[in-house]
Amino acid sequence: MAEEQTPDKTVITVKGLSVSYDRKRVLTNIFLDIGAGHLYGVVGPNGAGKSTLFKAMLGLIDTNAGSVSINGKPVENSRKEVVYVPQKSEVDWTFPATVLDIVLMGRYPHKKILQRMDQHDKDLAHAALKELGIESLRDRQIGELSGGQQQRVFLARALCQEASIFFLDEPFVGVDITTEEKIIAVLKRLAAEGKTLLVVHHDLSTVPEYFDQVIFINQRLVTYGDTETVFTQENIAKTYSGQLPILHRTGMLDE
Amino acid sequence: MEFLEILQQEWAIRALIASSLVGLMCGVLGCFIVLRNMSLVGDALAHAILPGVVIAFVVVGYSELGFFTGAVLAGLLTAVGITWIQHNVKTKNDAAIGIVFTAMFSLGVMGISYISKNEGVHLDLKDFLFGNVLGVSDSDLYLTAGVTFYVLLSVVVFYRYLFVSTFQAVIAQTMGISVKMVHYFLMLLLSFAVVASLQTVGVILVVAMLITPASTALLLSNRLPTVLVLAGTIGLLSAVIGLLLAIQLETTPGPAMAVTATLIYLLAVFFAPQKGLVFRSAQKRKLRARIRMEDIIKRSFHLQNAGNLSLDQLSQQLELAPRTVSKAIQQLSKQRFFETDNDKITLTGRGQELARRLVRAHRLWETYLVDKMGMDAEHIHDEAEHFEHLLTDEMLDEVDAELGFPELDPHGSPIPAKIGLPKFPLSRLQPSQSARIAAKQMNEHITAQLWKLGLLPDTDISVMSNEGQEIQVRSGERVIELSRELARQVNVVDG
Repeated sequence: MAEEQTPDKTVITVKGLSVSYDRKRVLTNIFLDIGAGHLYGVVGPNGAGKSTLFKAMLGLIDTNAGSVSINGKPVENSRKEVVYVPQKSEVDWTFPATVLDIVLMGRYPHKKILQRMDQHDKDLAHAALKELGIESLRDRQIGELSGGQQQRVFLARALCQEASIFFLDEPFVGVDITTEEKIIAVLKRLAAEGKTLLVVHHDLSTVPEYFDQVIFINQRLVTYGDTETVFTQENIAKTYSGQLPILHRTGMLDE
Repeated sequence: MEFLEILQQEWAIRALIASSLVGLMCGVLGCFIVLRNMSLVGDALAHAILPGVVIAFVVVGYSELGFFTGAVLAGLLTAVGITWIQHNVKTKNDAAIGIVFTAMFSLGVMGISYISKNEGVHLDLKDFLFGNVLGVSDSDLYLTAGVTFYVLLSVVVFYRYLFVSTFQAVIAQTMGISVKMVHYFLMLLLSFAVVASLQTVGVILVVAMLITPASTALLLSNRLPTVLVLAGTIGLLSAVIGLLLAIQLETTPGPAMAVTATLIYLLAVFFAPQKGLVFRSAQKRKLRARIRMEDIIKRSFHLQNAGNLSLDQLSQQLELAPRTVSKAIQQLSKQRFFETDNDKITLTGRGQELARRLVRAHRLWETYLVDKMGMDAEHIHDEAEHFEHLLTDEMLDEVDAELGFPELDPHGSPIPAKIGLPKFPLSRLQPSQSARIAAKQMNEHITAQLWKLGLLPDTDISVMSNEGQEIQVRSGERVIELSRELARQVNVVDG
């Protein structure tokens, strides 16, 4: 298998993870070994528990069973190395903050209380804004931006944190094509530099183009691995069972 | 006594200092209360400290420190109680707040009347409800100053914690900030602020000092640090002006402060730059005026192209009075969109450029509605008529790219090229049409790209296919493929 050719360093280990909300099981017994330097697409139908998986891995919600370790440590001790870009919908866009304010937020984990932002922090923020093509918007209030621009701001903040592991929840929802291309270019650059990225994604047609690894989830782990080997019609069908009519319509399954 | 003489009295100076401090502190703290949608919680906490004060009185007698401790404990108990109900009982969130604070407040009121009656001590309920700033003692003043200093210092020191957890709690969590701790810390500060405000504005009106200056500041700025400074200043001003008014008019200071804060808020509601109603309606008027001007220019463009641009035609087609149109044309001539010569009007190059931009916006938007939104080609005109005025150049380019740079709109009319792009681009040529690569291109970048493809200036070409994102042209014996994006920028002339 691929593991023999490239002995990847495992950066995240998930063991027997189970989560429930109000006594309803959302995730059951998930095992994952996430390798460094890969771009993972996390796919599955609505309600499959993709966002919940992220939140559980990030230690944001209580779990029923199982453990998550990042570089051999619990997530609480690896905060600086991990960055999360949540869904855009969970934000108060009227908040009095400018693009630069939000991007500099990425530097907070590196700062002690009352420690000022120095030139290095500002340079990083500027570089992130530039890479995402939003330098000219730095003094705008965040609510004045388009959906695509808002998503770029959050990715810029994540870049600023200089983390090694990225969790992105549906970064392509409600963004324009230019933004989508820009974001995927940045993600691929990060993966090439050895960072690890996990991305919840719903557009199956772009999976082979975007991700070198894919994780199929539907409350349980269906399968995961190299996109080339596991992104098959059989696995898609297994993951989306019950939602097949939609897949036929989108042309993802042709039988 | 004269007004100024009164102000030199010791009690008046103490009142002024106490009010300023309370106004400042509540203004700053209030920003976080408002931004976290906790106005109702703030009100609840203010009311709920009353039983704490009563119990402290029973235990240690009349002592500022005793009141302070009792009130803060009661405040925290309320905060915890509300959160507990919200998490563990199936009661709506705001109902939970209402239940807890009315119960606490009622206990406090019952306690006070019981003490006043049975212990023969005079504890005036009115002072708790509306404050008694004119009776501020030295020890009250020290307490207020200490609390104000502590609250402001906390906001400065923990600014980043407060900012992140207020803006996006999940991000705060992933940064290792305990959102729960921040919440209870804020509740603690809030209890402090409420107790310190007891003497000045009383429990019922504290919430006015917390949320009104903060809401005013939020109308005035888009940056949190500025909002905090503004809210503090407005809070301070409201308190001082309110106090002076109350002394002058011989009325109760607490309510006078709340009313002043509200008046300042109303000023901001109407006159704030950008977010104020006056500004926004001026913006709307300006937009309407611009739309009318642009409509006149666009209509003139079509008429001029058809060779019958005249004032009569224009006013007839626009369904406007000739006088209105002629006035508008006069104005537009000043802006060099029109040239007028007696009765004859002509659209200038500048006017034609604007018109072409509008036509481009209109037709691109129509194409977008049909292609991407699946709307019926017959029902899109009105929508596009409106949006052509609103789309920025940036948005147009994005729409254009998303549609794959279409040449024709759903009705079959050509979509004008972006200003700056050639008038006769290669992409317009149909199969079997021929032309010559113009000697002058838009910029050297284009020329260089053409060189690479072997398309030198003045080369004759004929189009073989023009579909999708690739355009094939023949030049002599060679067949060359160009991307549509490049072809749109290549200037050609008749061969």
